[in-house]
Amino acid sequence: MSPDTIVVIAEHLKGELSDITLEMLACGRELANASGSELICMVLTDDPLPFKALPFASDKTIIVKNPVLGTFNPEAYCKVLSHMLREMSPRIALMGSTSVGMDLAGMLSVTLGATVVGNCTRIQIEGRKLLVTSKLYGGKLTARSEVDQGMVLCLLMTGSYSKEGGMKNEISQIDIRDSPLSLDGLRTQFRELVEPEEGDVDLTKVPVLVGAGRGVQGADNVRVLEELAGLLGGAVCATRPVVDQGWLPRTRQVGRSGVIVKPRLYLAFGISGAPEHVEGMKDSEFIVAVNTDSGAPIFEVAHYGSTLDLQDLAPVLAEKIKELKGGK
Amino acid sequence: MNVTQAFLSRLEKLPDGQKVRDCIQCGMCAGVCPHGYAMDYTPRRMIAALRAGRLDDLFRSDSIWLCVACFNCSYRCPSGIPLAERLIPSLREELLSTGVGVPKELQTAFERTARYGNPFGESPKKRDAWIKEAGVKVRVLKEGDSADVLWHVGCFPSYNKANLKDTIALAKLLNVLDVDFGIMGSDEWCAGDLRCTAVGEEGLFNLLYEHNSLQLAGRSFNEVLVGDPHAYNALSREYARMGTAYRVSHYTQFLEKRIPELSKLLKKKIDAKVTYHDSCCLGRKNEIYEAPRSLLETIPGVKILEMPRNKENALCCGGGGGAMWLDSFIWERTRVPLSIQRVQEAARTGADILAVSCPLEIPRFEDAIKSSGLEGRLRVREISHMLADALGLVGGV
Amino acid sequence: MKVAVIIRQVPDVVEELVIAEDGRSLSEDDVMYITNELDDHALEQALILKGRHGAHVAAYGIGGSEARDALATSVAKGADEAVYVPLEFKDRGDNHKLAMHLAAPLRDGGFDLILSGMQAVDELDGGLGGILASRLSIPYVGGLLGVDMATGAGKVTVKKAFAGGRIGIMDVASPAVLGIQSSEQPPRYVPVNKVMQAKKTLQVKEIRTSVPDVVGLCITQLQKPETGAGAKMLEGDEDNVASSIANLLKERGLL
Repeated sequence: MSPDTIVVIAEHLKGELSDITLEMLACGRELANASGSELICMVLTDDPLPFKALPFASDKTIIVKNPVLGTFNPEAYCKVLSHMLREMSPRIALMGSTSVGMDLAGMLSVTLGATVVGNCTRIQIEGRKLLVTSKLYGGKLTARSEVDQGMVLCLLMTGSYSKEGGMKNEISQIDIRDSPLSLDGLRTQFRELVEPEEGDVDLTKVPVLVGAGRGVQGADNVRVLEELAGLLGGAVCATRPVVDQGWLPRTRQVGRSGVIVKPRLYLAFGISGAPEHVEGMKDSEFIVAVNTDSGAPIFEVAHYGSTLDLQDLAPVLAEKIKELKGGK
Repeated sequence: MNVTQAFLSRLEKLPDGQKVRDCIQCGMCAGVCPHGYAMDYTPRRMIAALRAGRLDDLFRSDSIWLCVACFNCSYRCPSGIPLAERLIPSLREELLSTGVGVPKELQTAFERTARYGNPFGESPKKRDAWIKEAGVKVRVLKEGDSADVLWHVGCFPSYNKANLKDTIALAKLLNVLDVDFGIMGSDEWCAGDLRCTAVGEEGLFNLLYEHNSLQLAGRSFNEVLVGDPHAYNALSREYARMGTAYRVSHYTQFLEKRIPELSKLLKKKIDAKVTYHDSCCLGRKNEIYEAPRSLLETIPGVKILEMPRNKENALCCGGGGGAMWLDSFIWERTRVPLSIQRVQEAARTGADILAVSCPLEIPRFEDAIKSSGLEGRLRVREISHMLADALGLVGGV
Repeated sequence: MKVAVIIRQVPDVVEELVIAEDGRSLSEDDVMYITNELDDHALEQALILKGRHGAHVAAYGIGGSEARDALATSVAKGADEAVYVPLEFKDRGDNHKLAMHLAAPLRDGGFDLILSGMQAVDELDGGLGGILASRLSIPYVGGLLGVDMATGAGKVTVKKAFAGGRIGIMDVASPAVLGIQSSEQPPRYVPVNKVMQAKKTLQVKEIRTSVPDVVGLCITQLQKPETGAGAKMLEGDEDNVASSIANLLKERGLL
């Protein structure tokens, strides 16, 4: 009887592999090692070149190529994956809890008769049982679930596993094939990918926000925060007094008389944490606050804090982030 | 019947609404309105537009949202037209029902109030969480309970961190005076004046009224005590209009009656020059000017300095009529924020302390003090807190 | 154009979530319900299509009596039709069961588009939209920020959110199921008066078929995640603190 298979559905955008893929591989590697299974990384793309030489921690990498697969078309991906996964019959297929994975899991679960577990932060194997930890209710509760038979599709949340665990020192065996099915006549067509405008930003759609509060004290200091935001793929936002002073435009205001945001990361600089502002950002997934006042209410809602002066800390933080990112 | 006529007939059914016909177009309202200069439709022009059958013009203008419900216009109008109480809220109600041009921040405040009984979107169950830190016993009255005084605490005093020390101060004062009081805890909902009658969400006001009056009916008490002048307005005037009349006192009135006892309990001097800000809802609207001053005079060491614009001429802090949620919207359309003008006026008297009697003013004036660089020169204090301090019940000023 | 919107009632996380005695579900008595936020966006998107193209909007309210209230609000906002789908507490949060239950009525409804929020706070078994689409054998695209009629007939153009603020423009042939992330405009306000009015005059169709008896995902435990009280304060000089923060961000996949 052939050993179990664990499949990771890779994600990529514009020829660049998404980090979640490496996290899934790290998770998959752990599971494969624990259960003696084979770990396969599956990449659906129009051009295998960017992916051929990546040191995935998988035992095998299958690259399926077809012009339609260059950009993410849920119908095309679903068609190909249904076919391939039915053939491979893996124990587990890992997908990202992202705009890609979340489109596929539901559909695939019906075509394959598989169980889906979403919002996963940790997956373990115990004999025949799969033990999954997930977030529920906006992160307020943690749920543990068990699946003991059949194929399981797991949606892995970003930040759950380390990317390094998804790589190894050699290139795994690569198998490049054409799509097993025709992808003509699909009802979903991808037309174009639009880059975000340079102009003003919709704060509710930005994953990282760097908040400027009164402690920022002037337009000049806002510049350092803008650099930080740029490094993190985010935008600068502000409390009302900052906007009122004209250091940032009204469109950047977060709070009761501004915008309500729920980014993945909120870095609060010089923000006291007045309720009017906190109302607008308290549901951010991860909050780090910097304020010289140790009694500032922002520290009640932040996950981490520092009482250093932001003028001293912000530039150094920008440097450290550049260093860590430079390793990519 | 055209849209304008339909609107006018609805307006005229409200208390004193028919007085809108007596407008002599004198422009007193526009002259005393603190935002009059920024409105393309001042109250006078609004009435002129209505007379010309042009309700739509008013909807295209931002002016309706610049009103801070300071009641100056109504107070001065020679024809006694309830401009801030009825005309503006009615216009706002029209806009709300079409969903056009309503500032989003207000919408959020309404949605939260409708769902959670407070504009912050905090759980109603946490409304009385503050009593754990009060340091004195605060009775939560359940259905069937009775007390001499039912204290309607209010949303800001219950939930807003900046106001908690003053809520606790009042609890301590009631305690030391041996007042038989209780609160309704999580059964208490927003009194509805601030965001609702003044802002035109009559439906929401009715919802809150139904809830609160039912809850109040389940308890026995002799009077209702409030810390918030807006709740005072709602519970005494508006609830009476809906058919349920209560004896309502603002804490300054309540404590004024007990000055002899308070005087005996004084422990500290507060050496400070104090100027008192007459809040619009307590002052101009309900003409309560002396009680707060008498209380301040009771505190040894306090020297009262009056601002030029005091009592019925007081300048609004800019937070009424829903403006608490519209600061940005309003600042974009006006020059210097009212709260900043007011703290500067206070500082010019030479005072050390700006004393207030409305919970909105604590965050508004504290903010304004920081923004106008007066930090260190002027501080804001709620009268209840100053009294509690003078009685040695709370930490230092 | 006929548009159906699925509106689910989910536990309101503003309130404290009380775990039941069995340790693997919520205590039913303590749950306060609220309309799933993204379903609100889905309704708004449907109403935007109504405003632009005169689409007929049918709101499907899933849940208990609170779902009926949500239907009144939907109608007050402009929905043309209200369909009540009673669903007991024990069946909630199971999208596979719900999709099976809704498939037949939705198919019979002859809708061009079926909109739902791409996610709900109480679901663990993948988004409703994809499962429903597969049952109905029609396309699904989720994570949408905008929907509009395409230039060709029987097609819609959608804007799908990708990482980094990028947007994918796609054409989808109808009928299709669409998973909404954010409506083009924030969900509109409806005054309390209008909702009260709608409640009085509400005409609701009801789905009376019994909910399919299928076994869903086996949840073995629900618990609160470990939290500290307030922020963990970082010590040291700028170098130490900056490194700490940068590492925290890296660990969380934010770099």
